[in-house]
Amino acid sequence: MPIIEAEGLTKTYRVFQKKEGLLGSLRGLYRREYKDVRAVDDISFSIEPGEMVAFLGPNGAGKTTTLKMLSGLIYPTSGEASVLGFVPSLRADAFRRRFALVMGQKNQLWWDLPAADSFQLNREIYSIPAPEFQKTLNELTELLGVEKLTRQAVRELSLGERMKMELIAALLHQPQLLLLDEPTIGLDVVAQVAIQKCLRDYHTRRGVTMLLTSHYMRDVEALCDRVLVIAHGRLVHDGPLSGIVERFGHAKLVKLEFADGVAPDDLGRFGEVTRREGPSADLKVERSRVAEVLGAILDRHAVADVSVQDPPLEQLIARVFEEGRRSHDAA
Amino acid sequence: MGQGILRYLRMYAQLGQYTLAREMSFRGNFLVKVSVEVIWLGILLAFYATVFGMTNTIAEWNRPQYLFFVGAFFTLNGIIETFFLENCNDFAELVRTGDLDFLLLKPIDEQFLITCRRIDWGTAPNLLMGGGVMVVSLYQMGWPFDLVRLLTFLVTFGCGIAIAYCFMLLLTALSVWMIRNQSLMEMWWLFSSLARYPKEIFKGTWAQPIGIFFTFVMPILLVVNVPANAMVRALEPSMVVFTLVSTVLLFWLSRRFFLHALRSYRSASS
Repeated sequence: MPIIEAEGLTKTYRVFQKKEGLLGSLRGLYRREYKDVRAVDDISFSIEPGEMVAFLGPNGAGKTTTLKMLSGLIYPTSGEASVLGFVPSLRADAFRRRFALVMGQKNQLWWDLPAADSFQLNREIYSIPAPEFQKTLNELTELLGVEKLTRQAVRELSLGERMKMELIAALLHQPQLLLLDEPTIGLDVVAQVAIQKCLRDYHTRRGVTMLLTSHYMRDVEALCDRVLVIAHGRLVHDGPLSGIVERFGHAKLVKLEFADGVAPDDLGRFGEVTRREGPSADLKVERSRVAEVLGAILDRHAVADVSVQDPPLEQLIARVFEEGRRSHDAA
Repeated sequence: MGQGILRYLRMYAQLGQYTLAREMSFRGNFLVKVSVEVIWLGILLAFYATVFGMTNTIAEWNRPQYLFFVGAFFTLNGIIETFFLENCNDFAELVRTGDLDFLLLKPIDEQFLITCRRIDWGTAPNLLMGGGVMVVSLYQMGWPFDLVRLLTFLVTFGCGIAIAYCFMLLLTALSVWMIRNQSLMEMWWLFSSLARYPKEIFKGTWAQPIGIFFTFVMPILLVVNVPANAMVRALEPSMVVFTLVSTVLLFWLSRRFFLHALRSYRSASS
């Protein structure tokens, strides 16, 4: 049975349109103009227990709004969601005990107090028995390497350390479902990798289901097998990460190193030359023509080295977003 | 049920402990707050001492009775300020920034967590000062111990706190739509200004309807008048019953309105 089921989930906001200038502000006092904005538009998907799924989309695509509907923070305008067998918007205590939401841009810990105090409060709120609490806390602090930092005031921690504490606070009650909204935003590479490793290890140990939004493709590649791509509130792709490459990666990148010490002039006839420096050249070639093109080049020129790569995932994702925007504008 | 109450009490004790630790880490701020409250009570007492130097009664209340009234008001105001005002005042900011998200995600009553999560220890000495003023006034008037009056006072005083809390909750809930709700403090000031005086001051063509309105329609005048009256003046059973009924109705209404407001929460973008 799926752990998350969304059927036609839609969220429309009524947004006040402020007129420019002082006169506009005064007019707004007695006559207001509103515009309906569809943040999420008829989205349907389901997630099975134990899956690690990434939610991708440009800013304002509706990722966070969807996460907030799934966690019961906001009510859908239409459509239905079932999470862990509950209707999220009813916010039943039994439901809230079984999942956690981590938001990279927001802080749930008490700012002026050590994280350990916030953890204790969570223990009380989630009614976690003391021995179980201590065991989980030890496990998580060790996993994230922050054993010595829990007694330090949160405001004195670095961003990376704070994020680790946020993660611990979210996992103390051992949720079955973890919703992560940009958990590594603003972190340096070392901290990003530490968070990714913690999430991966935790998933291996506990089999927790994760739904993650992130702008960092490294997070997605490191953690998720399946991606949901959302653009302008609509779901435009649901499938494995490799599926994006197959579906949107129409071309491959052929990297060539010529033995003669200089790249030949006739490469343009085989594909789009994207780089040319001394003996090296990069060629963008239609996926279906790669073998044929390689054969032709090898026949004509002495090649010292060759590699064929998929285009960077970021480029593909940008293309997916762009297609989503076009179909939205066309509609 | 018992387990649930115990859990909430334990949580409240923990929240109180953390806010005290937080307050103590900003010692200067704490001392300034306490000093301001002491000075404010001093000014109030000096003012009434001056007034009573010229007259024997204010609106049918004699000097020790009025002193008791002032003590009761100061205690009630102290309770609201210590336990609820800061939390309610913060609510608009939680809505504006979207930080309310984390409070709504916790498996605990939202109203409890939002309105009780912080204790403003800087205003807690008001409770002691107000209590002290009440004890002194009882001593001055030679109050004969009366268990019925004392119990009536305690119950109606509790109702007064609940009524004040409910009004604050209703005003707080508006923040969900208004986003910025600086008017809450002004509304609370209006509330406490009305509650601060005996209802007998509302006499005459203009004032009497106002007194009736704020007693029976918007029962702000009940919160200090009824308990203080029951303790040191006349015990009016009808007013006591009306206070009890008003409390229950207001509690029900304010909670429903607050939960309804939470349904309209839009959660600010991250």
